[in-house]
Amino acid sequence: MESSILGTRIRQRRREIGTTQAELAQKVGISPSYLNLIEWNKRRIAGPLLGKIATALDISLSELDDVSERRLSITLGEIAHLPALAGVQVEEERINELIGRFPGWARGVASLARSEREATERAYMLSDRLSNDPFLSENIHRILTRIAAVRSISEIIYEYEDIPDDRRREFDRIIYEESRTLSDVAEALAVYLDKAAEDEKVFTPVDEVEALFEHHGNHFSEIETLSEILAPEFAGMNLRQERMRARELVTTRLGETIDRIVGDQAKISTHAGQNRARDLLTEYAVAAATLPMTAFREAAANARYDIETLSAEFACDTDIVCQRLTALPESDDTPTFGYFRANAAGTIIRMLRLERLPVPRYAVACPLWVLFRAQQSSDVLFRQRAIFPSGARFVFVAKAVSQGKVGFGAPRHFVTDMLAMSEEDSFKTVYAPDDDTRLEEVGPSCRLCPRDTCQHRVTDPLTDN
Amino acid sequence: MSARVLLAEDEENILTSLTFLLERAGYDVSVETEGPKVLKAALSTPPDVLVLDVMLPDMDGYEILRRLRASPATERLPVLMLTAKGQREDRETALRCGADLFITKPFANSEIINAIGELAEKRLQ
Repeated sequence: MESSILGTRIRQRRREIGTTQAELAQKVGISPSYLNLIEWNKRRIAGPLLGKIATALDISLSELDDVSERRLSITLGEIAHLPALAGVQVEEERINELIGRFPGWARGVASLARSEREATERAYMLSDRLSNDPFLSENIHRILTRIAAVRSISEIIYEYEDIPDDRRREFDRIIYEESRTLSDVAEALAVYLDKAAEDEKVFTPVDEVEALFEHHGNHFSEIETLSEILAPEFAGMNLRQERMRARELVTTRLGETIDRIVGDQAKISTHAGQNRARDLLTEYAVAAATLPMTAFREAAANARYDIETLSAEFACDTDIVCQRLTALPESDDTPTFGYFRANAAGTIIRMLRLERLPVPRYAVACPLWVLFRAQQSSDVLFRQRAIFPSGARFVFVAKAVSQGKVGFGAPRHFVTDMLAMSEEDSFKTVYAPDDDTRLEEVGPSCRLCPRDTCQHRVTDPLTDN
Repeated sequence: MSARVLLAEDEENILTSLTFLLERAGYDVSVETEGPKVLKAALSTPPDVLVLDVMLPDMDGYEILRRLRASPATERLPVLMLTAKGQREDRETALRCGADLFITKPFANSEIINAIGELAEKRLQ
């Protein structure tokens, strides 16, 4: 599926201002048939032609090429394959038309699917909690035991008429005591469950923050500009001092800017989401101050985007380099990068998306990605030339690094960082494959992958293309 | 002669009700509240029926049952297991350890009296 809905917006805008295809095509110097292909999203456009069309339509580039709509298109594409929609004839090829013509409905569907996913996650979490939580297990045991005593004694009182007075009084006392204990246990349980309901929300802020970064194309120009100004203030310091000073300066001088960016994103509704967004933007600003974009961009191009070379040159960890690479401003000769970080359990814990790379929002990713394989040998950089079922080709480079406390006896935990780029873009980098480089078949996730014979499949595909 | 029932249960109030019910039904009832003492009592003087709670101090009901089944004197002793955990895996564990019947709390008095009656009858046949 073509992910861009640029064409639909061009068509809509052209109609709004009462221009024909032929007139617009003539103005921007292309044939009407080519414009027709663009308007029906059959051809991708960017760069100067996009600028000319925007000018001819009297509309800004950002209005025409809306990142949030592209994200919505990807999300609806994933929703089309949800199990709940299996058997329903969803017109996946008309998603962009839906977004263009009925944007409110499109956002509504995405919002409903998001609510459904959150509810499912919550159900799984509660189910886990019911099965494994020692507090719940202990208290349910206590409740059942108390109820057993109350029920048995009350049945005796009801069914036996000849109970001696002293026994009857003893039974009354038991019911009284057990009822009081039961009441206390039930109250403690209710308080506990209330607290658990509050804690559940920890799942959603990750999505909220991811949306913020995508909305900005992983690049915050205001933070870049302000951070670059800070750089001279820690010149001459050693690395450790430099990082500490950068953090101090970012917190004191960029705090308001970061708060405003977070506040402008209406979708970050939870405190946990706002805190996470502030933390990650602070990290972004510290990286921007210590690896200023002007210098980093030039060094990156000279090193042909070799993350290990850049890591040595700027004396920082590879994850910082990867994140800076995703923030490179768009230009024709600069590759566009995505970044992923996974923990040892295979959970993707950080994601700066790459357009057209199908990462399932509603399922775990394909285990064949080098992101997961790289943990087999830490500190070794792996490259993977990957082909997806759609035929789209990407190059991934991944490296597992240890994280957390070090020292003898301390357990070692690894996370894997992965930089992703289209194969086309990889030719601008040191990671360009040659003809002998093995092309590995991967997918987004089993559910969305049609490769029937894949021996790593764990669930049936829902696609039949 | 009335059948002898050993009640292995650490909840005092449940013991009170079960003792009352079983005595009224004509059984000769003895009581133990700690795991090792239950094992010792059942091995030294095997009752006609053992009512065994799973959660007991110092040794759980499953372990007691395994040891009883390993001894020739009690390998066929009728055992009714009681537990507040009603999950399928608990029932399966109890039956795998050799319980004859399994009842979950809370129970109806008739349910437990009928179950003990059934086991006592089987023992005396």
